[in-house]
Amino acid sequence: MDVFANLALGFSAAATPTNLLFCLVGCLLGTLIGVLPGIGPIATIAMLLPVTYGLDPLAALIMLAGIYYGAQYGGSTTAILVNLPGETSSVITCIEGYKMARNGRAGAALTVAALASFFAGCVGTIIIAMFAPILASFAVQFRSPEYFSLMIFGLVAAVVLANGSVIKAVAMVLLGLLFGLVGTDIQSGVTRFTFGVTELYDGIDFVPLAMGLFGIAELMANLDRRFEDRSQTQKIGSLWPTRKETMLAIPAVLRGTGLGSLLGILPGGGAVLASFSSYTLEKKISRSRAQFGKGAIEGVAGPEAANNAGAQTSFIPLLTLGIPSTPVMAIMVGAMMIQGIAPGTALITERPQLFWGMIASMWIGNAMLVIINLPLIGLWVTLLRAPYRLLFPCIVILCCVGAYAISSSTFLVMMMAGFAVLGYAFGKLGCEGAPFLLGFVLGPLMEENLRRSMILSFGDPLIFVQRPISLTLLLMSLALVLMIVLPSFRRTREVAFQE
Amino acid sequence: MIRITHPQDFWSGLLFIAFGAIGAYLSREFTFGALTKMGPGFLPTILSYLLMTVGAIVTARSFALRGGEIQPSAIKPQVLIVSAIILFALLIERVGLIPTVFIVLIVASFASDEFKLRDAVLLGVGMSLACYLVFIVLLGLPLQPLAWNF
Repeated sequence: MDVFANLALGFSAAATPTNLLFCLVGCLLGTLIGVLPGIGPIATIAMLLPVTYGLDPLAALIMLAGIYYGAQYGGSTTAILVNLPGETSSVITCIEGYKMARNGRAGAALTVAALASFFAGCVGTIIIAMFAPILASFAVQFRSPEYFSLMIFGLVAAVVLANGSVIKAVAMVLLGLLFGLVGTDIQSGVTRFTFGVTELYDGIDFVPLAMGLFGIAELMANLDRRFEDRSQTQKIGSLWPTRKETMLAIPAVLRGTGLGSLLGILPGGGAVLASFSSYTLEKKISRSRAQFGKGAIEGVAGPEAANNAGAQTSFIPLLTLGIPSTPVMAIMVGAMMIQGIAPGTALITERPQLFWGMIASMWIGNAMLVIINLPLIGLWVTLLRAPYRLLFPCIVILCCVGAYAISSSTFLVMMMAGFAVLGYAFGKLGCEGAPFLLGFVLGPLMEENLRRSMILSFGDPLIFVQRPISLTLLLMSLALVLMIVLPSFRRTREVAFQE
Repeated sequence: MIRITHPQDFWSGLLFIAFGAIGAYLSREFTFGALTKMGPGFLPTILSYLLMTVGAIVTARSFALRGGEIQPSAIKPQVLIVSAIILFALLIERVGLIPTVFIVLIVASFASDEFKLRDAVLLGVGMSLACYLVFIVLLGLPLQPLAWNF
């Protein structure tokens, strides 16, 4: 079958000893940073980007895959052991995982989380391999109106799924779009919002923006809080789940994987939605519902599987349409751009080795995680207890070197400092950074496609509703908007984010 | 006097309005164009006005909402972290990677309440060597280990 031939090509490209080594290092580094309380996967990947600069594209992407999985798993570890979620999707893991840890079942929770993620990751990889080419052939029909509507849908979804105030998320998207327009306008050659700074002519560089806004800003916020509660790190106990726990976890993993794979394809934070809905589903159909909230293993297994399957399938819109659907994917785009790779339909046909290598590398990153992280769990826990005062200066250095090394420019380091201050202010004001980031990445793409659509239709905005695919996407966006306006959904959303 | 009942939203609304106003002001000099032929000012202008509108709604709403206190900041660590980054930018091309990392790391370490000079120096030595090995020797990034350019 074609899928397997393609995957074989990918594995032969990806699984060279050097690449595996990079994957291993990435996995270790990702977990190392990801396990630190209060630092989510976005910040982790942003901080570790510089490590991949010097590598060839495939090695860099493989290492990033390792970093990504490491960061996610590190986040789950912190969620389970200290009850500090690093990102929205591990909020769910906190609920049951931390309760399990308090019952002395932390080891089992960690193992189940890792194995559930791994299983979901395997399924996700196969789904990408099967559906990415199909979607890509479908994507050939996409013209600028479709792309524009798709981006609208992605941004609407990002707003709906942001936690906290919807209206502020709207403002953050607009602000992000505006920041995305900084630089030279391709059509007219006019430089916009550059204040005469040459470094801004090509637009604001993504890496210092992400590192400042997420990495340094999160670190600054942590310095306000301090981590007294880290002393309460739970004991790990036996790593192996009992027979009963396994029997409960397996069906939950299967359901979570199915749900996550489906929702992940949707642009705009599918993975977060996936773990929320999986948790709700498990709670609803569980025979021992009373166990929920007290450390139900299904509540760890299902959402973790859903999260990972969703994270995996959210690569599909990125790889086929070239449109990042989540902030983490936006970072991946940034990383690919540095390597001179433009994600999109052309990638599959023009550079099949790279495309399939990348898909294989995701699976390898996932497998590496299970092999490396479970035996090393003791080490990560030690790190979790390591004094923050020694860790944060090293993170500052890492970010500085990274920002500088992109183009040997001290201006970018200064810019990172600026975005750190901005990100810190956003945090203080309760504004979410994720919609901003998505807006920033999509800004230039949106302008480009809007402009082309308008040329195509001679200035008639009705073009967006006259084309069936575009109309469908806009109707889906409208449905999402209606969902926020409807009081019943609003209540569930608030409850979901409060938990 | 009207009391601000939701400081977070009040100030974030003002921040959005400010960004929108700057954007709109700077966009004046770009051609707006028309739908058929969008100029470089088209989207920036529209986005800026939208942002100001949404910002105004956020601020207006803050008089009706409650809560959202802004948590107090620890000024010293925040100033130190930002200064450390700026210091990095100033030093890296003048003295090279190794001394820069050492100095910046010590300055950043000051940000912690539990600052210990001995630990910071040890960490500084370790980190500058590690950075040299990882970034220059291993990854081959175009950085100078040592320099003297004033």
